Amino acid sequence: MTPKERMAECARRGRFLAASCSKCSRTNPCTARFCPSCGSPDSEPVEMEGTGRVATYTIITVPPAGFEEHVPYAFVVMALDGSDLRISGFMAGISAPADLPVGSPARIAGFDERGIILERT
Amino acid sequence: MRNVCVLGAGSTRYGKLDDSISDIAAQASADAIQGAGISPKDIEASYIANVFGVADKQVHLGPVLMSTLGIPDRPSLSIESACGSGSIAFREAYANVAGGFYDCVIATGVEKVTHTGTNWTTTYFAYCSDFFYEGQAGASFPGLFASMARAYIEEFKITEEDLAAVAVKNHENGAKNPKAHLRKGITVEDVMSSAVVASPLKLYDCCPFSDGASSVILCTEEFAKSHGKYVRVVGSGRGGSPAALQGRERLTTIPSTKIAAKQAYEMAGITPDKVDFAEVHDCFTIAEVVDTEDLGFFEKGTGARAAADGRTGLNSDIPVNPSGGLKSKGHPIGATGIGQVAEAYDQLTGRAGERSVRGAEVGLTHNFGATGASCAVHLFARP
Repeated sequence: MTPKERMAECARRGRFLAASCSKCSRTNPCTARFCPSCGSPDSEPVEMEGTGRVATYTIITVPPAGFEEHVPYAFVVMALDGSDLRISGFMAGISAPADLPVGSPARIAGFDERGIILERT
Repeated sequence: MRNVCVLGAGSTRYGKLDDSISDIAAQASADAIQGAGISPKDIEASYIANVFGVADKQVHLGPVLMSTLGIPDRPSLSIESACGSGSIAFREAYANVAGGFYDCVIATGVEKVTHTGTNWTTTYFAYCSDFFYEGQAGASFPGLFASMARAYIEEFKITEEDLAAVAVKNHENGAKNPKAHLRKGITVEDVMSSAVVASPLKLYDCCPFSDGASSVILCTEEFAKSHGKYVRVVGSGRGGSPAALQGRERLTTIPSTKIAAKQAYEMAGITPDKVDFAEVHDCFTIAEVVDTEDLGFFEKGTGARAAADGRTGLNSDIPVNPSGGLKSKGHPIGATGIGQVAEAYDQLTGRAGERSVRGAEVGLTHNFGATGASCAVHLFARP
């Protein structure tokens, strides 16, 4: 499996796949092939809880092709609990800013043709 | 390195154009050659910026353009760096003249997309994001900048009206530009009442999809002196940022802008307060606010207020986007970065007409690809 396929497989189980750098211990998304901090190629996979808080988001009303039937939906950047990492993804059922204040708790809820799926908790 | 100059510039009108991508590229290039007072035979190489040539059935544009210009034996390099393609092609042209490979080259940027319609243009542009994390999850470009806008509004407590002031100012400038795509004045109320595209951004916070081409001639100073009016390239910088927003330390700054600007200022030996006008990448109102901070004109968090207070208007503290910017002049994505250089050339050689910045000696251009994943900044001065 490629790193992206492993990230997707974890997301289907509601989890986030990180890579802990063997040299400097920094935690990166598993899709980083070298550590952005020290440049090391060596790391250990670490599964993290896919929970966090909404860092920012938008509600899309003019979508790209393939998303017409989902409008309105949110594209969300979520800060993962217990780390300085963020993960972004698709969130259904958001039609107004009042539905999703910044800081709202959320979680990874799957992976499909819409990429990583997030939902409010 | 040798001194490099811009000797001539040409642009088509930006907007919905009927001619083919190769025709509009040829038109802008011919205007640049004739404006420079040179023969096409003086051109030793070409740098072509384009992203979606496939949408108008023409990729590998360089040889097609060189053949049209009567110099089919000259080498060409096609460059794709999303919306930053133009400035990045300019940089490659600059580096090759500065490094001594060539004495005279042409850099041309072109885009032709409006015939594909809003849905497909939105879709194609989303391919410029980090697709696994962003485009695949339904993020459009308005959506990515809207995410930055919401983070900015949360962090610095500004209003959507403050952002709208950027659009109002750029339309005011663009109304004076005969080649601009959207030549009409708008009000803050017009922006606020326009349809939401990706909250909190509304239609009038967004630049239009445009067709168009721009072209410039770059050469050594020795070559320039024996021809027409020219301006010096006094600074050139490049930078990169994490491709996806999620990978950035802060969501309210664009790292590649800061890196590129630092290099360009250091090369020129100047500070931001010495810049007389700036053409910046205002694909969305929030982008111009972030740009003017990252380029060092305003402290972080104060750019929106500065725009709302009129400090970026024509002949104000720091005139930003005298051309009308991407917002009003238009955004044919491959052409934009070279169009900014054409504007700097026009401003510094007294050809900007009604939108002239009085007494301008030093101009800056800033253009990036995607959400600023790649960026180039250049500084120009009168000789």
